Amino acid sequence: MGLRAYIAKRLVYMAILIWAVITVNFLIFHMMPGNPLQQYVQSLQRVSEERYQYLVEKFGLNKPLHEQYITEVTNLITFNFGVSKRGRPIMELLKERLPNTLLLMGTSTIISIILGILIGVIVAYKRGGALDTGIVTASLLTYSVPIFFIGWIMIAIFAIQLGWFPSSLEQPISWSRNPPSNILELIAGRLYHIALPCASLVLFTVGGWILLTRACVLETINEDYVITARAKGLKERTVLYKHVLKNASLPLITNVALSFAFLVSGAIITETLFSYRGMGLLIWDAIYGGGAGYADIPVLQAVFYILALCVIFANFIADLVYGIIDPRVRYG
Amino acid sequence: MATRKQKIRFAIKRFKGFWSQFRRSKRGMIGLAIVIFFCIIAIFAPVIAPYAPIDPQLNPGEYPKLGSRGIPIAEELCKPIWYKYLPTIRRGPREVTQRFYSELHTELGLTYQVFRREGEENATHTTLLLSNRVVSIEEIKATLPNGTEIILSKDDWDFQLSGGKYRLNEIRIFPFYPNNTMIEVKYITAWDLAENIDVIEDHKFTSIESFNEWKWWSNSNLVEVRYNTEEGFPVNEEDNLGCVEIFYESVREPSSQPIEVTLAKSFEYPYYQPPVSFWIHYSVKVEGIPAAKVKVAFLKEEGNETRTFLLKTLDVLSSKSYTHYVTDSGEGIVATNVGADIPQNLIFASPGNYSFVVQVIIPSGSLHARIYLDNIDCMLYGNTFGLLGTDNGSPFPRDLFSLLVHGSRVSLFVGTLTAIFSTLIGLFLGLVSGYIGGIVDEAIMRFADLLLVLPTLPLFIILVVALRTVRGSVSMWNIIIILTFFGWMSFARSVRSMVLSLRERTFVEAAKAAGAGTFHIINRHILPNVFALVYITLATSVPGAIITEASLSWLGLGDPLLPSWGKILYDFQSSNIAITTGLTEYWFWVFPACIAIATLATAFILVGYALDEILNPRLRERR
Repeated sequence: MGLRAYIAKRLVYMAILIWAVITVNFLIFHMMPGNPLQQYVQSLQRVSEERYQYLVEKFGLNKPLHEQYITEVTNLITFNFGVSKRGRPIMELLKERLPNTLLLMGTSTIISIILGILIGVIVAYKRGGALDTGIVTASLLTYSVPIFFIGWIMIAIFAIQLGWFPSSLEQPISWSRNPPSNILELIAGRLYHIALPCASLVLFTVGGWILLTRACVLETINEDYVITARAKGLKERTVLYKHVLKNASLPLITNVALSFAFLVSGAIITETLFSYRGMGLLIWDAIYGGGAGYADIPVLQAVFYILALCVIFANFIADLVYGIIDPRVRYG
Repeated sequence: MATRKQKIRFAIKRFKGFWSQFRRSKRGMIGLAIVIFFCIIAIFAPVIAPYAPIDPQLNPGEYPKLGSRGIPIAEELCKPIWYKYLPTIRRGPREVTQRFYSELHTELGLTYQVFRREGEENATHTTLLLSNRVVSIEEIKATLPNGTEIILSKDDWDFQLSGGKYRLNEIRIFPFYPNNTMIEVKYITAWDLAENIDVIEDHKFTSIESFNEWKWWSNSNLVEVRYNTEEGFPVNEEDNLGCVEIFYESVREPSSQPIEVTLAKSFEYPYYQPPVSFWIHYSVKVEGIPAAKVKVAFLKEEGNETRTFLLKTLDVLSSKSYTHYVTDSGEGIVATNVGADIPQNLIFASPGNYSFVVQVIIPSGSLHARIYLDNIDCMLYGNTFGLLGTDNGSPFPRDLFSLLVHGSRVSLFVGTLTAIFSTLIGLFLGLVSGYIGGIVDEAIMRFADLLLVLPTLPLFIILVVALRTVRGSVSMWNIIIILTFFGWMSFARSVRSMVLSLRERTFVEAAKAAGAGTFHIINRHILPNVFALVYITLATSVPGAIITEASLSWLGLGDPLLPSWGKILYDFQSSNIAITTGLTEYWFWVFPACIAIATLATAFILVGYALDEILNPRLRERR
């Protein structure tokens, strides 16, 4: 099987996954006994008859189930999500929020991977020592500390006590009216606001990376070619980073994609905690915003769909990269 | 065939061998100790926790409803009781000197004096606004711009601790001074934390001893106050019938003047900080006269004098049954009677001996009267409470320590049940998938792949929200089911891969050749080999469930009636003090629950790690 066939196979698999996610969406919101979507839409009837009619039409609520299903599939595939409780097109909301979330997740993943690999390699090299035990225990701890605890401590120390970083929002308030024209100023402002949520996410995820790198390096560190490299008289650092890490990095690459799903959970909570206006805060707003009454189900549906798409897409990319790097996968 | 006894003996022996290995793992023992500790707390939660976790009341349902809402156990947002022993808190009085600068302003022909605090830019107040609460004022000194010093006499300033609707830290200055006169105020202030004081311990008068703690006096010698065991006010069936009876009988002629009968219960108020609020309850029944006046008041001993703070006067009409009255510090009439916006600040301005007083006035011209008093209760609410303080629950603030103790039940229950269920499902599907193979295997594994790809937390959120929309609320069981349904996949995968290799081993082949059925082979030959993995997964999948449950509750999506750890944190998060000074001021609200979640989760991870080392032969070889 060549690379092309491999990609084609992955693409088909991705399409099946997307269809499955849409079906899960449909099952939860249309088929659950009591029909949550119907209840939500009906609760809007008192607010605005016009919007009620629009949403009934949009989701095909007055049609039989199989036609509702077809409407749902076409709606989601064409990113046609309808309007939120406050009447804004959901697509507009998503366009505004998704880049923020991706920025937060991207920065924290990159920092986390770099830190995790560096520390993991060192720890694996000095295995069995006090440093190793300490860092492995600390990494295990990060699995069990809830991320909102990390976030609160960050806020308490760096925002309230020291006052170094802001504790909320993703950019200065004044920017919503007149964003700065200078690109450097823009980047600096965003980074300044992203610092604390990003640091929390890094602390939350770096433990996993350390443990994984350590395990992978330990698998390869006693291989014959490593001994050969040492025997050649190469520097220890060269051996570690060029010979050991390169071969140990395959599982790390797959894990980037897998960790994406895990990261989404962390990002949702971090964003809520720091009032960072991304997808997570959008979920929070959909549940609690707009006063009492039902949660904004179309928004939740769209957010879930988009996040699932992101995860599926990340998995696809990881599969591709894996296929290119490691030819065995293509023929396996 | 081994007998049953032999089997048991073998199991015990195997366990002993395992235990001797486990005991050597330091991490595992620490984890196990923590898990056992939390289990004990969870089992004995109702005994350990002093209060109910939801809507705790001092005497739930005891007082009849008459605009009363039950008696909360404490004020909201109390600090822990040990807080005052922290070195940062200074208790007791201390002397403070504060400087002000005067400015004369003229407006519409009227001249008035305004003051600027030292360090401030603008003069804003016509009075001296002190930064701290005042216990007493020692000296006020004015230094004129030319250097002359004047010590102000008592007539020159006014600080109405005695009354008037003043705040307790404002001084009025009467003489006018030239611009930029420096006025130095030397005063005593106190920073303290107050605890709850239950002035009347036995408010039901269950015995004559509790009656004897009261003093009484009257302006008439025809009055007798005595303990009555029959006429009490039983709020519920088991209640005792003890009460106080005021008996008045004039044989010859009606009284010419109103007869005052006063009951007093003295107590000590030891704190420099006034209570945050006070609550007074009393039930009265009047017989023999058309109506009697009832007054409640606090008395304060100041040297040889006694100051009276009248709180409320009531006319109680004659009736066959009791009437229950509630008075609290927030009532407007109390503020008016005492003469201060915040009456408790004026009444309890300094520590000392106080009395709680109920006075009954029988109108003149009465011949015969019986007045019964019962359920007289007086609570002073301080700003500290319990081991961990209270939260902001309204109207019933909750004791955070009790919440924490009860929360361990929810976390352990959800965590272990989810782990057991998802491990069982994973085991079953993994066995089926691995052993049967073919299309069943393909279907199960593709389904698992799909579930693995879905981002879990958003999925849980929409599931819970959908459930809430349909059913109004979610229960703990819903959450357990949801967590179970999305928690079996990775275990099923590892079981499957293990079964795939076991299936090809010679002992399975031998069993097959001997004619064993599928069920028998799985049960006797494959299952025992997989079981090590089951134990490890049981331990390692608990933390995930605990943290996910806590995260859902933290987002407000948990069972609203359950006192879970996540809900404590949700209350903190949604109280809006979280992102201001909240965490530095109310860290005792957040940290215990967070640490409890982290500790319990870590403990399970440690146990799992130790099990992994013992039961997973591959790991053991590498060491």
